[in-house]
Amino acid sequence: MASAVATDFTNKVLFSDEVAEFSPEVVKEMESHLTKYPPERKRSALIPLLFVIQRERGYVDNPGVNFLAKFLGLEVTDVWETATFYSMFNLRKIGKHHIQICKTLSCKIMGEPGITDHICHKLGIHPGETTEDGKFTVSLVECLGSCGTAPMMQIGFDYYENLTPEKCDEILDKLD
Amino acid sequence: MSEELIKVTINGTEYEVEKGRRLIEVCNENGCNIPSFCYYSDLQVQASCRMCLVRIDKMPKLQTSCTINCTDGMVVTTNTEEIAKAQRAMSEFLLANHPLDCPVCDRGGECDLQETVMSAGNVEERFHEPKNSFAEKFLSPMVANDQQRCILCKRCTRVCDEWMGETVIEAGNRGVNTVIGTYGGWLNCSQCGNCVEVCPTGTLLDAVYRHETRPWELERTVSTDVYSSDGMQLSIGSRGGKVHRIVARDRYVNGLNGEFLDVKARFGHEFVNHPDRIKTPLIRYKKGGKAIPATWDDAISFVADKLKDSKNVGVVASPRLTNESIFTLKRLATEALNSDNYAVSDAYNLAPFFDNLSAPLCNHKEIRYAKTILLIGGEPEEEQTYTAKQMRQAVRNGGAKLIIVNDTPINLIKSATQFVHVNKGSYEAFVLALLDKKNDKVSAKKLGVDKAELEKVRVTIAATEGDFIIMFGGDLSAEAQAVLANSAEKFASDKCKVLYHPLPLYNNSVGANDVMQGKKSLGEVLKESKSFIIGGSLQDANILEEKDFVVAFELFETETTDKADVILPAASFAEVDGTYTNNAGNVQRVRKAIDFVNQSKPDWLIADAIAKELGVDFGYQSSASAVFKAIADSVPAYEGLRYPALKNESKPVQAKHTIHSAKDLSNEIKALTERVEALAGETNKNNETPRIGHKLHRLTTLTSRTPQFHLLANGNPKPENLHVSPLKQFDTDGKAVAAS
Amino acid sequence: MEIKAIGCEPLQLKRMHVKDGHTLKVYEKTGGYKSLKKALEMTQDDIINEVKASALRGRGGAGFPTGMKWSFVPRQSPKPKYVVCNADESEPGTFKDRYLLERDPHALIEGMLIAAFALGSECCYIYFRGEYNYLIDIMDKAIEEARKANLVGKNILGSGFNCEVFTQTGAGAYICGEETALLSSLEGYRGHPRMKPPFPAIEGLYACPTVVNNVETLTAVPQIIEMGGENWRNLGTEKSGGTKLWSVSGHVKKPGVYELPMGYSNLEKFILEDCGGMLHDDKKLKACIPGGSSVYIMNAEQIIGKNVLMDYEGLVAAGSSVGSGGFIVMDETVDVMESTKNLIEFYKHESCGWCTPCREGTDWLNKILKRISEGNGRPEDAQLMLDICDNIEGKSFCPLGDAAAWPVQSAIKRFPEDFKNWLFRNTNGN
Repeated sequence: MASAVATDFTNKVLFSDEVAEFSPEVVKEMESHLTKYPPERKRSALIPLLFVIQRERGYVDNPGVNFLAKFLGLEVTDVWETATFYSMFNLRKIGKHHIQICKTLSCKIMGEPGITDHICHKLGIHPGETTEDGKFTVSLVECLGSCGTAPMMQIGFDYYENLTPEKCDEILDKLD
Repeated sequence: MSEELIKVTINGTEYEVEKGRRLIEVCNENGCNIPSFCYYSDLQVQASCRMCLVRIDKMPKLQTSCTINCTDGMVVTTNTEEIAKAQRAMSEFLLANHPLDCPVCDRGGECDLQETVMSAGNVEERFHEPKNSFAEKFLSPMVANDQQRCILCKRCTRVCDEWMGETVIEAGNRGVNTVIGTYGGWLNCSQCGNCVEVCPTGTLLDAVYRHETRPWELERTVSTDVYSSDGMQLSIGSRGGKVHRIVARDRYVNGLNGEFLDVKARFGHEFVNHPDRIKTPLIRYKKGGKAIPATWDDAISFVADKLKDSKNVGVVASPRLTNESIFTLKRLATEALNSDNYAVSDAYNLAPFFDNLSAPLCNHKEIRYAKTILLIGGEPEEEQTYTAKQMRQAVRNGGAKLIIVNDTPINLIKSATQFVHVNKGSYEAFVLALLDKKNDKVSAKKLGVDKAELEKVRVTIAATEGDFIIMFGGDLSAEAQAVLANSAEKFASDKCKVLYHPLPLYNNSVGANDVMQGKKSLGEVLKESKSFIIGGSLQDANILEEKDFVVAFELFETETTDKADVILPAASFAEVDGTYTNNAGNVQRVRKAIDFVNQSKPDWLIADAIAKELGVDFGYQSSASAVFKAIADSVPAYEGLRYPALKNESKPVQAKHTIHSAKDLSNEIKALTERVEALAGETNKNNETPRIGHKLHRLTTLTSRTPQFHLLANGNPKPENLHVSPLKQFDTDGKAVAAS
Repeated sequence: MEIKAIGCEPLQLKRMHVKDGHTLKVYEKTGGYKSLKKALEMTQDDIINEVKASALRGRGGAGFPTGMKWSFVPRQSPKPKYVVCNADESEPGTFKDRYLLERDPHALIEGMLIAAFALGSECCYIYFRGEYNYLIDIMDKAIEEARKANLVGKNILGSGFNCEVFTQTGAGAYICGEETALLSSLEGYRGHPRMKPPFPAIEGLYACPTVVNNVETLTAVPQIIEMGGENWRNLGTEKSGGTKLWSVSGHVKKPGVYELPMGYSNLEKFILEDCGGMLHDDKKLKACIPGGSSVYIMNAEQIIGKNVLMDYEGLVAAGSSVGSGGFIVMDETVDVMESTKNLIEFYKHESCGWCTPCREGTDWLNKILKRISEGNGRPEDAQLMLDICDNIEGKSFCPLGDAAAWPVQSAIKRFPEDFKNWLFRNTNGN
């Protein structure tokens, strides 16, 4: 046995066997994705289904992953390895509105820093954080393919382009 | 791979190689050493470490030699400054975020990364930025993980997938944040530890061995696994009389199993130096009284005194003992005690199989390249893990057809081409059907399967072009074994070679059957004798209550020793020289790695001492090699074998078991048919796939001494309730499992 | 934002300003699906030969001749064949495909169907980047419309040709724009590139023969079939046929998507006149990245007065390349060290982590540039970064490594002053 006590090497991970449940409509939607691929290639549906899980449960949570593993006949680790590769999947809880500000070159030189400062100041958080009421999460993301209308941001799946601080106020105020 | 030879020029020298060979292997074989981390000959090519870059004429960029197959006229350069610079650059990249904490890393001294960098030399450190860091953690009671050291060669994930068929350990996240791990951070698998074995750095480490000693301080002894009948070769790392770890790393040992070991072979060695080991000979002067420590001399003369005049003394040997011990126990019975009442305490008698064997036993390499494999009963994934790995790869990489006949949907059916799900206890019916088509109707009914399934099995076997391997587990009756063993002629053809592979339960079941010729069944011996010498313990020791005198050779106190009058401390496999014979008939060496723990002695030496006291000298001169010579002289299958012939673990020697021609087995077939017809034939199948490791982690005498196994036996509890450190093991209720 | 053709008739941009151009009705009214009908009457070889004759080159960035790519597919193979459209447009500065997908989805469907017919494929996938979710809805509707009109599905237009078109989403990974990584992702795995060979044409999606083409490449196919490969080629130059879309962003008055004939003359005129000139009249052009971030950055001297032709050969001769045609124009307010840092942050974030040089190299470069931007630059950093780039270039598993190295190499070499300011004027005084 080892000579030193390694007490702080505890392994605190939350993991449960709970399997998420979804309404018949959602299950039907998930099944409709499977029809796109050859029957033995169900795994192809993993990414679209992870989006469904994220939409339904707010983020890719543990019961959701368990559900998907069962649904597609995979190991949970298979779901995990794919989900963590893609930056659009959140494995932690995030705010109701996910504000993703593009920070890549075109947006950067067209005034992204000012927009980020404005939004963060308005919400009182840093990029990467969630407001206390759980309403907004601000992230800085890489190019979203809207360089001609820079600076821009995406909230959820919606594009907001040619931003100015005033426009941002207007957009954020409209979100409930 | 084709036989065609082609010419490849490496650094100006022309070599003849087989067409299509991997360039990196050709280079390494011919002395142009090419460093690589992700390349592993038995696994899918990954080409991610980029260490093995070489220059190939007519190709624009440097090429990774692990991805290049040799073609005729290829001109390769590996020794220019350009290549050296590229390799230096890759080492530099790999070391950029590597913590370089070699002085506190368990892998230090046997780390591929360290060695490659040191041998390249002249690595200038230019990375002056802060290093990325990750938390250190445990992935299971067996596997420690220091992510920061990872160079993402992904050998572990590939081994898990390709060898074990479990995708339990995977890569998560992306880019420089990529980590090796699992969802939930907990390894839920058979805990084979092969990911630890193949890790080229200190990322995945043996949690049991963690921080115990430095690898270069260990004495390394090549030996054979004491648990599974696959006879896996391993290296015992010991220091100062203590076994610290067991590994199979290629560079010290290159046995039939390569770098493969399972959870028991790798981690189940704590019993060797366990404080509960019996320390001295013990004598119970009064039935039911206390066992009193005695000297060896007193104990031996006490035993001889008691047995001197006994008639018909029963001698029982455990199939875990070495051939030498089992053989000497047999001689003790026949020559010193004049008794023919001797047996092996194995639930599974292989005699009918070997007495009727009509084709050779196959070795594990043949399994890997077999074309058709028929598995009747058994669960190799649990009991013969290496056989299971070879089967899986035969299917996955070799396109073999695997037919599984079982009453349980064992995990291996994932790889099977056909799974015949039969009723419990109906394997005989399958053997009968295999034997003759006319039995199909009856058999199908008793097996609870469709007749067409049996026909399908027959068609697959008939279509075999290459090796056809028949495997069977321990659940076959003596008659069924005999008939099956004698049926090679039925399946053999010009294209198809039949081979047998029994799956006995113990490391030396085959050897025990070989060297203890003329043995009786255990039940018979236990019934007939009044006095006993028992090497090892019995599964059920209750019968010993009513016996006059019992001598037991054991490592630990067990139910058998509780009822024994004399208890003699036996030595474990790590303390003795000897041989085991595995399920492929390979006779392999067990080597002494440490001094005897306490006052223990090898079983054969104890038996020898008792014989001497009784006035019979076997002439062993206290030398195991002399015992083995005596075996070779008296057992035909071992004829001419000597220890020096067995010294190279890379070239295992197969015992020459007699191949019998087809015999008249009508009596056996009649008995079989009667029994099959008497079967009720009601549906009686297991429908649940057993959890991985359900038997591997089961606590038995030896593994119960390994604290981590208690956790695994409990179902590898979930991490939220569990704090793991090598010193403290808690179960799910928070109670300490074992204090050391 | 401008969307217009200059120096040629709008071909790709034909329906950009047509009302309801995304609907089948308007698409057919403006000449849509004529090419498909024509193609269905041609032989497979003829179609491939037309595409070869057109000198169409992959518009995704690598510029590989499309006809050649198609001809690698073993059409006699018994395995199913797949046509995959790469709509994972993630190259910084590139947004042309987005407008094609939004306003002219049927052009892509038609292009894919022609490709599928030519290659003997019965199944097409369109792989969108995850962020383009709203485009998937548009495309799904368009596919539904086409299905109703018997343009997708069984026995298309009575020709006996069956073909399905499906959409698939990515989820935020630039690397999935690399064709083999895209296929890994489409199979539900991590988006790691795969080993070549085997090339996707032999073993691609589900280990079957597969062709992966960019959106703009596939939308060009109907035009080629309609006007003939030779005619289409003549719109451009000998080696780079047809027209090309350029996405323009940054410091210009009229950013947008422009369709130019290949070999358009010249780059200076394009930036300073066609795109409305510099955003602020008093700020001069300083730098320009002509092909998405993964190409060499150009300085003003390489553009002004140099008559740079806008095609594959012309831009290479000028010291850069076409890439995906994403122009990022920068005026003199931009510090190239800062912009290089920005791009390296991107590559570090998007490196898949598969191979050593790209994973560790981008991280290292990022750390150096971060340190420099914090005022702790050292004179030797420039050489160190060039050396790191040299060690990445040509040694990584896929071209992403090269793509990360090139902007840094060119920035240091072509804008030495910007770096000198940071490396020699150490603000921390040491």
